[in-house]
Amino acid sequence: MSQWFSNLDRLLRGEFTKKDELQGGRVEMPARKLILAAVVLGGVYGACMGLYSAMGGREHTGWAVAATAAKVPLLFLLTLLVTFPSLYVFAALANSRLGMKQMLRLLVAAIAVMLGVLASFGPITAFFTLSTDSHGFMVLLNVIFCGIAGMVGLAFLNRAINAVFPGGAAGAIDEHASADERRAAAEESGRARRIVRVWLLIFGAVGAQMAWILRPFIGNPQLPFALLRPRWSNFFEFILNSMGDHWR
Amino acid sequence: MRPSLDIDGLLRGKGLHGVGGRSVPWWRLAVILLLAGALYGAVMGSYGGLPAQSATSAAKVPLLVVIASLVCLPNFYVVNLVLGLGDDFRAAFRGILSAQATFAVCLASLSPITALCYATTSNYHMAKLANAAMFALALLGAQQTLTRHYRPLIASNPRHRIALLAWPTLYFFVAAQFAYVLRPYIGNPEFPAEFLRTHWWGNVYVDLWWSVRGAF
Repeated sequence: MSQWFSNLDRLLRGEFTKKDELQGGRVEMPARKLILAAVVLGGVYGACMGLYSAMGGREHTGWAVAATAAKVPLLFLLTLLVTFPSLYVFAALANSRLGMKQMLRLLVAAIAVMLGVLASFGPITAFFTLSTDSHGFMVLLNVIFCGIAGMVGLAFLNRAINAVFPGGAAGAIDEHASADERRAAAEESGRARRIVRVWLLIFGAVGAQMAWILRPFIGNPQLPFALLRPRWSNFFEFILNSMGDHWR
Repeated sequence: MRPSLDIDGLLRGKGLHGVGGRSVPWWRLAVILLLAGALYGAVMGSYGGLPAQSATSAAKVPLLVVIASLVCLPNFYVVNLVLGLGDDFRAAFRGILSAQATFAVCLASLSPITALCYATTSNYHMAKLANAAMFALALLGAQQTLTRHYRPLIASNPRHRIALLAWPTLYFFVAAQFAYVLRPYIGNPEFPAEFLRTHWWGNVYVDLWWSVRGAF
């Protein structure tokens, strides 16, 4: 177990994503151990998140905590499953130096970073859970924490991916290249970055939608325990309708 | 799958699918296009939960790509001849085939996202919108491959820029009508699954014109 977390520590320090290794198309990291560490960390944060539903003296509180502990890592891993094929295809089109396995490892690393950051917020979430009874506040707090963790993970991914495209941020253009070759490499690099940004948006949108499917996470004390809420609408319709109701 | 079809090589423009290669990997490109297009079609037709609709859409998506290309190719060939680019047509054709196969691969890679959209909405218009977005993204991917194949051609003769612009314009014009004729793809759950709508003969541009007039 301690080895898993030492790997996570090394990942957060950037030891597995050094620029020269990425430029050489290598992502050397113990992906399986990182996945296990990510699942444990996600579970820890999920338990802290689900603790709120255990506070109201409702029935099945243990199940509510266990369900949220399982759903948080599941949310990230399912999002990875849905978005990985498109990232691989569009990154390959942009001449990424990474093959399929390396790209998957990099994404696993990004998920581990997200869940590592999220787990670090766990004690704060637990503290607020114990000291407040406002469901709205807890929803907002968790959305903010998940948003921060997501942005840190995506920034990690963006930085790493920039280094794996020809002429990327690391400036891997051959110094003997002609002006035309440099211009072509710069154009290709710009296109690759645009592709990555579009994909990051897709990842965020799919993650939001996946969270909508897997809800409830926190557990409204007014409602009985349910593993999953009935499927109606979707995250974006809900946001638009909420905004419409608010401004009507 | 990599050693036989070399999808990774297709996406990167290397290996068997390398830009400027002497032999055209015909059957590989055809198999990639058929398999990947059918995969997306099957997902696309699964909205109403009718297996028959999935099966027909799985056949129609590759059909749309292939037949729209065949309809456009004679005109594109003539355009190349008129521009004095006849000698490079083989390389241009190779680029077009690779772009079509890339289009299908991009669609297939986006199919889990389409499936997720279907799993979370009962709004048919939202499903149509999601598919339109996936097709737009796949077109961008295909354009990337086409541009890659055209880069050395443009370097040898700048007139290829006109041909590079002509193909997507022509193809989009024809494919939009062909897609309209071949509908339904998604399958509105309020209608029975069918290969073609009974009132299938129509014109997308005329319908669009009347829609715009009706809106104002």
